[in-house]
Amino acid sequence: MTQPLLEVQDLRTVFTTKDGIVKAVDGVSFELLPGETLGIVGESGCGKSVTALSIMRLQRPGKILGGKVMFKGQDLTRVSEYEMREVRGKEIAMIFQDPMTSLNPVFRVGWQVAEPNRIHQGWDAKKAMTSAVSMLQRVGIPSAASRARDYPHQFSGGMRQRAMIAMGLTTTPQVLIADEPTTALDVTIQAQILDLLRTVNKDFGTATILITHNLGVVAGMCERVIVMYAGKIVEAGPTKDVFANPKHPYTWSLLKSIPRLDEDRHEPLKPIEGLPPSLVDLPSGCAFHPRCSFKVERCSRDVPALLRVGETQLAACWVTQAGTELKGA
Amino acid sequence: MIGQSRVAELEMPGAAVEGVSSRPAQSYWNESWERIRANRVGLAAGILILVFALIAIAAPLFSALLTHFLPQTIDLDVTFHPPGKPNWLGTDELGRDTLTRLIWGGRVTLGVAFLTVAISLTVGSYVGMLAGYYGKWVDDILMRLVDTVLAIPAIFLFILMSILFRPNPITLAIIIASVGWGGVARLVRGEVLSVKERDFILATRSIGARDFRLMLRHLLPNVLPVLIVSASLGVGQIILIEAALDFLGLGIQPPTPSWGNMLTNAESYFFHSFWLVIWPGIAIFATVLASNIFGNAIRDAFDPRLKS
Amino acid sequence: MPEATSVKPLKRAWTTSEPLVSVSDLKMWFPVASGILQRTVGHVHAVDGVDLEIKAGETVGLVGESGCGKSTLGRTVIRLLEPTGGKVTFKGEDITHIRGEHLRGLRREMAMIFQDPYASLDPRQTVGDIVGEPMDVHRLAKGKERQDRIRELLRVVGMNPRYVDRYPHEFSGGQRQRIGIARALAVEPTFIVCDEPISALDVSIQAQIINLLENLQSKFNLTYLFIAHDLSVVKHISSRVAVMYLGKIMEVAPGRQLYRRPRHPYTGSLLSAIPIPDPAIELRRERVILQGDVASPVNPPSGCRFRTRCPRAREHCAEEIPPLESFGDDHKAACFYPLD
Ligand SMILES: Nc1ncnc2c1ncn2[C@@H]1O[C@H](COP(=O)(O)OP(=O)(O)OP(=O)(O)O)[C@@H](O)[C@H]1O
Ligand SMILES: Nc1ncnc2c1ncn2[C@@H]1O[C@H](COP(=O)(O)OP(=O)(O)OP(=O)(O)O)[C@@H](O)[C@H]1O
Ligand SMILES: [Mg+2]
Ligand SMILES: [Mg+2]
Repeated sequence: MTQPLLEVQDLRTVFTTKDGIVKAVDGVSFELLPGETLGIVGESGCGKSVTALSIMRLQRPGKILGGKVMFKGQDLTRVSEYEMREVRGKEIAMIFQDPMTSLNPVFRVGWQVAEPNRIHQGWDAKKAMTSAVSMLQRVGIPSAASRARDYPHQFSGGMRQRAMIAMGLTTTPQVLIADEPTTALDVTIQAQILDLLRTVNKDFGTATILITHNLGVVAGMCERVIVMYAGKIVEAGPTKDVFANPKHPYTWSLLKSIPRLDEDRHEPLKPIEGLPPSLVDLPSGCAFHPRCSFKVERCSRDVPALLRVGETQLAACWVTQAGTELKGA
Repeated sequence: MIGQSRVAELEMPGAAVEGVSSRPAQSYWNESWERIRANRVGLAAGILILVFALIAIAAPLFSALLTHFLPQTIDLDVTFHPPGKPNWLGTDELGRDTLTRLIWGGRVTLGVAFLTVAISLTVGSYVGMLAGYYGKWVDDILMRLVDTVLAIPAIFLFILMSILFRPNPITLAIIIASVGWGGVARLVRGEVLSVKERDFILATRSIGARDFRLMLRHLLPNVLPVLIVSASLGVGQIILIEAALDFLGLGIQPPTPSWGNMLTNAESYFFHSFWLVIWPGIAIFATVLASNIFGNAIRDAFDPRLKS
Repeated sequence: MPEATSVKPLKRAWTTSEPLVSVSDLKMWFPVASGILQRTVGHVHAVDGVDLEIKAGETVGLVGESGCGKSTLGRTVIRLLEPTGGKVTFKGEDITHIRGEHLRGLRREMAMIFQDPYASLDPRQTVGDIVGEPMDVHRLAKGKERQDRIRELLRVVGMNPRYVDRYPHEFSGGQRQRIGIARALAVEPTFIVCDEPISALDVSIQAQIINLLENLQSKFNLTYLFIAHDLSVVKHISSRVAVMYLGKIMEVAPGRQLYRRPRHPYTGSLLSAIPIPDPAIELRRERVILQGDVASPVNPPSGCRFRTRCPRAREHCAEEIPPLESFGDDHKAACFYPLD
């Protein structure tokens, strides 16, 4: 087996709010293999972004209560802030959801794309700029040399996201974390950016963590997928297996509840009833049990662990761990 | 009628039941009130203003039962009496009781301040609302008017007006408010412009509501927090303006006491009867400070995000 | 007040096969002002010559990228905006320029559901006030009757009637959207414009709202104009789908047909850009990735709007605006060189 590039073990991050302690990430473990694209899906507020930010140690005001983030033999939760700065942007790069606000409006795009190399490689402005321009060209900005002199507001949303990706890639990082990189964009622009991410993954060999709530995006982009619910991983495995044969009722119902472009007959959707739980006041046992149509008595009592179910998948569910198949109305 | 039958079939179980806490309904106003209550200093400032206002309202009662003097009672036997008995805060050059005059002066000063705020707020929010809501030429005309009013040097206006009318508390309030409403109008217009763009305004228009309902039921409650904050900050500002006018002799005329003209009067005797300056000075200082603290406290209470 | 008639005006039934709503050559332009004097220097051609018919009881879906004029079209159709040009008819009556009481009467027949469940409810009103307001505005019910109707509407949209005295901020997005739907139903409309009603909701909640809207439609015989940028949702809920690009309708067809056999190159690339939640299919799919961005609606391209990004564009496309032409049953597209 190949050595994982990044290994997250039992990561726990909390926020203290006036309503109580928010367990945003509650015992998350996974590994990222070199060169792969790993998807993290889950609905709003389930802790996807906080997981990513905790890996980068940018989770403030949240606190990492425990767990390890192993990268190149060191635990990123333990290294000094100085060492962490060396990792950030150089070895692990991150791009964010909102291309409108993640670039600084008062600096030229080229200058910002060149910044990581000025900081991390100590390059002079000219050298960094030359490489920034060639990177902008590679991510598909037409006439990059002149567009590099533009300010962010002169770029469209899609172009800004390309610039963000270019900025992430200038230092040829080993890991790229893309947090909902296309959520704010139109579908045709989303298709462009996803295509770009595929190319980047192939050409640079960068391992990518792709965070999204769009199951379709995961299906088209990722070899493996992690499904999160209420701060925990509920299912993980190769994308084709998880989609073909989900082992957690949440994944199962989610796939049933979304309309598909290729559906032929009009069948009513099967929604997941109820609402996602509040992270301050989680239900007892499995957090999904109040909305689960497969629940058994044990589900409201004990928290299931993430265990192997079937050949390739992991699932945190008492029902499937007991060997029951998920099917039915 | 919609949904008499087959309701059960349409009902979405889970969704209806949970997800809302079981605590009693909490309005925006309730929550803001709780936050004010949690802010000790702000609350104390508010209480102080309230106490001063109550004392001012009950001034005749205090005269009759507590100090046993009237503000204009001259007693040349006891001029410049230092604080003590029976004049707890001393007397002035005509032997008038300072405490009594302070209480009656507060009645005038606070009365002018509250009245001014009321007038500026009413006129200002009316104008601001119309300008912001209707936009276009209505906005142009009203806002040019506001610009004009705000461009007139206030002090010139005050001098002119107090020559034309002999200032009494009511005319003084009108004089000060004639400048003050402009700022309020601008503030309200700005708020209305932003609230107007929110979808719920469009939603209300889409059900066929008239302009009047939109302004009164939707825009006004949403600009009210700004108005309340501006009112409580305004009280302090106006007391200072009024004190300055009194001091220049353009405001309330003696012998009617006001905190401002008590200060003017006391100026000449500072070196041998300093208490005549101290008491009105403290009164003005405390009220203005309290009004600012309270104003900021309610601003934070209405918009908790501002604080962090 | 003038509308205080003791008898509620009876709403006209519409049972003919004529379209309930029909729009022809509809234009909605917004002035663009610039400079210190705020002089008008041009117009945003938000909706620029749209023809569309909506039959009673059907759902017409409207898709297109951000800024292509979907919301503007929806708002113009229900006369929240007054069109710059063209014509809107509702139940056979020309409503393009009606005003005052006449327009207020129309508000009892049409309603709108909004995208943002946070911005579309007044934070200072209780749920009861929000749902009851249309009844107050049109004097439909008072006192006990009003209370009962509010409770009933809440039940119909799957909300617990116990929550009438709560404020919107206490609810989740999905619940707020239900409140918005209850408000829209309060006037007992026949036609509802749903402007991206699920875009802002959690994935697991979207299906609840879609099903609710479908149930309400069959129960109350509603007609929808359903706006979304997600073609899979639109295809699911609509009988016919209209594809919009830069203020113009590019193609209209029943959803399945649109998916199986798109005629307009824009529809083709839009379809191929939408990810399908099935890795097996995604792996095999051919992708047509459009280059560049949508052109500016202030200076839309001459001829066909889409030609600047179209892989099939030829000279002719710049010279003439392609009309919406029929491609067999209920299928129309505006293209000189359609896909086959
Ligand atoms: N600064 C913060 N203070 C308090 N709670 C926070 C903070 N940031 C995040 N949270 C909480 O942590 C939880 C996880 O948030 P996170 O941003 O990771 O969600 P997400 O899965 O990325 O959702 P989305 O799809 O909306 O981006 C949420 O419930 C959120 O309320
Ligand atoms: N009141 C207005 N004044 C000026 N321009 C406007 C106004 N409303 C809309 N526009 C412009 O008209 C165009 C179409 O806007 P519209 O909101 O209809 O698009 P949309 O298709 O609904 O987009 P989205 O998917 O983002 O909601 C945009 O360019 C927009 O900027
Ligand atoms: Mg996130
Ligand atoms: Mg819109």
